[in-house]
Amino acid sequence: MINHHPDENLLAEYASGSLAWALSLSVCAHVQLCPHCRQKVSNLNKIGGAMLNTSVAETCAPNSFENLMRRIHEKSSVEKVSEVAATSELHISYRHDPLLNKLPKVVEKLLPANGKLKWQKVSSKLKTARLTAGQNEYEVAFQCISSGGKVVEHDHRGLEITLVLKGSFSDEQGVYSEGDFLVRNPGEIHRPTATLNADCLCLSVVAAPVSVTGLLGHFINPFLSIKPA
Amino acid sequence: MASIISVVPSAARDDTWSRLLERVGQQRDESAFAQLFAHFAPLIKGFCLGNVNSSFPADAADEIVQEVLFKVWQKAPSYDATKAAASTWIYTVMRNCRIDVMRRNRRTISDSGVIEIEDIWDEAADDQAYIYLQQASNETLIQNALLQLPAEQRLVLSQVYMQGKTHQQISAETGLPLGTVKSRVRIGLKKMQLLMDVGNKRSEKVVGEGQ
Repeated sequence: MINHHPDENLLAEYASGSLAWALSLSVCAHVQLCPHCRQKVSNLNKIGGAMLNTSVAETCAPNSFENLMRRIHEKSSVEKVSEVAATSELHISYRHDPLLNKLPKVVEKLLPANGKLKWQKVSSKLKTARLTAGQNEYEVAFQCISSGGKVVEHDHRGLEITLVLKGSFSDEQGVYSEGDFLVRNPGEIHRPTATLNADCLCLSVVAAPVSVTGLLGHFINPFLSIKPA
Repeated sequence: MASIISVVPSAARDDTWSRLLERVGQQRDESAFAQLFAHFAPLIKGFCLGNVNSSFPADAADEIVQEVLFKVWQKAPSYDATKAAASTWIYTVMRNCRIDVMRRNRRTISDSGVIEIEDIWDEAADDQAYIYLQQASNETLIQNALLQLPAEQRLVLSQVYMQGKTHQQISAETGLPLGTVKSRVRIGLKKMQLLMDVGNKRSEKVVGEGQ
């Protein structure tokens, strides 16, 4: 059961298309896991449709339609109208990885097509894999905490969104499981711990470098420096 | 072209537009497309100009209209009238065009990205099947709800949707605190939601009784 959702404001920014690319990606991944939010986004889109229907009609430039039809005919004579892109099959190495199979569609798209996802060990219990998301404002990455593993206490200088994809973890404020969508604002400190029975995979989208508090942080920080991809 | 507008009685428009769009998609019907164009092009332009103090140049709006309807033609084969009304679907196509334009202008793209707009904002993401009857009553209901909203909530929603602004941008431009912008959006949406829920239940009942 999903207990943590993006709030109405975030969903509205997503549905109206103003939310930053990487944040939208994380909202989309949640929406693909959450029927409740899917319904909400569907309603928000309907409001968009109603906005369109009730907007004040403005006369278009003369010959707009003729110009458009000319463009359409030219285009279709040069190249065939693009068919729906063939759904590329998930690489076999992901399909057999219990951590990486059955992810939301949009997250599967983030996996390198060659089947080689590069994990970096941050500590004995935490590994991270940077993901290429076609933008440079946020760092998008997988974070994987081994079962029972604790992550070094850290705070955030910028907004961080965490979406639980597999397993569950807890911090001082609660337990989060598959599909839970968490927003951490700058200055919030937390120390996530994976639950004992399984590894926990999260998608994280971070605006600014995460700073590690405490002694260990001194050694770990270089790994966490922001590197947008 | 002018005569086309009068062919379609506006009272029946929800079903009419969805069926026309289906014909465009399935039969590549250009006369159906002409009717859609005559109806939606001026609305799309009006939407782009944003209703409120917009400094958006009219010729830029005309270009967007062309781009949106070009995409509508291209994507129409994937349109499914049982899932979304034409106006909602065209809204999502229009929104995606705007995302594309803004993204290119902002130069925040890194070349290596494989994710495309449709992966994040899927026009067909709505997996619920609606029947025409329910859809039509929904549409009317939402429009009425929108028109009934208090002015300040309606204004903020149009800034969100029509001008495509983040809450932060609206706050910076209007001088309203971010919290106020957020709560106005939330209250506005909540009111709309309540009216929609009522409508959903009512039309479910109607559908149930009709069977």
